[in-house]
Amino acid sequence: MDSLHAIGFYVSAAISLGGGLLVAFLPGRGARGLALGVSGLGIAGLYASLSADFAGLVALVCYAGCGLLIAAPRYRVVDFPVGMVWRQAGAVAAAGLFAILAYAAFRGDFVHAAYKGGEFGTAAIGRLLFAHDALATEAVGALVLVALVGATAAWRVRDRGR
Amino acid sequence: MSAGLVTVLFVAVALVAVGAFVATWKRDLMAALAGLPLMFGGAGVAFAGAARFSAEGDPKIFGQEVAALVAVAALALVALGVGIAGRGTSR
Repeated sequence: MDSLHAIGFYVSAAISLGGGLLVAFLPGRGARGLALGVSGLGIAGLYASLSADFAGLVALVCYAGCGLLIAAPRYRVVDFPVGMVWRQAGAVAAAGLFAILAYAAFRGDFVHAAYKGGEFGTAAIGRLLFAHDALATEAVGALVLVALVGATAAWRVRDRGR
Repeated sequence: MSAGLVTVLFVAVALVAVGAFVATWKRDLMAALAGLPLMFGGAGVAFAGAARFSAEGDPKIFGQEVAALVAVAALALVALGVGIAGRGTSR
């Protein structure tokens, strides 16, 4: 990875992680949605610096959608009946997960190879999506369909209950 | 300045951990849902990084494909969660 891509990678990593931490600590749905969008921008930058431009574009659109959903006026508060101790235990478990996975990444014995890519690659990804891995693409399409139908049904049930 | 596969995996792991932290730390279900795309993003970065630094002869596009699918799946799951959770009180 050359210096320009490396700088883009580190800046994008800082933006994505900073946005993620803001999602955790900012109050209010609007600020959280905006922070999630910023984090998505960083993740898209990470993809772009890893020569995955198409995935970056898809991620940019999807994370903007996630941010809009989180910040939408239809936001409803649903509190978990979970005590502070369990939340702190979850935070410690998240830190432990980071430590374990980071150790695994650090100790991993990876093969080093040169990369000759850099192209946008939409045609190749399209061939892979719709020819080689058509089943996985259809599974994600089915997931999107189920999610949209479920969301619509839930909204209609709630509106009918008013 | 350079970045290798280990650096990419560190960032991916940090994104997954931040997402898990958001999901466990927030008491509100819809706020906790925001951790889901972060975890999925971490997984996607790991896939894209593995594809970027993979050995010659391997399908380099595969990781990008999974990263794109993971982003779409994250959006779908957040939409589903927002729909299911939309029965509480507005704030």
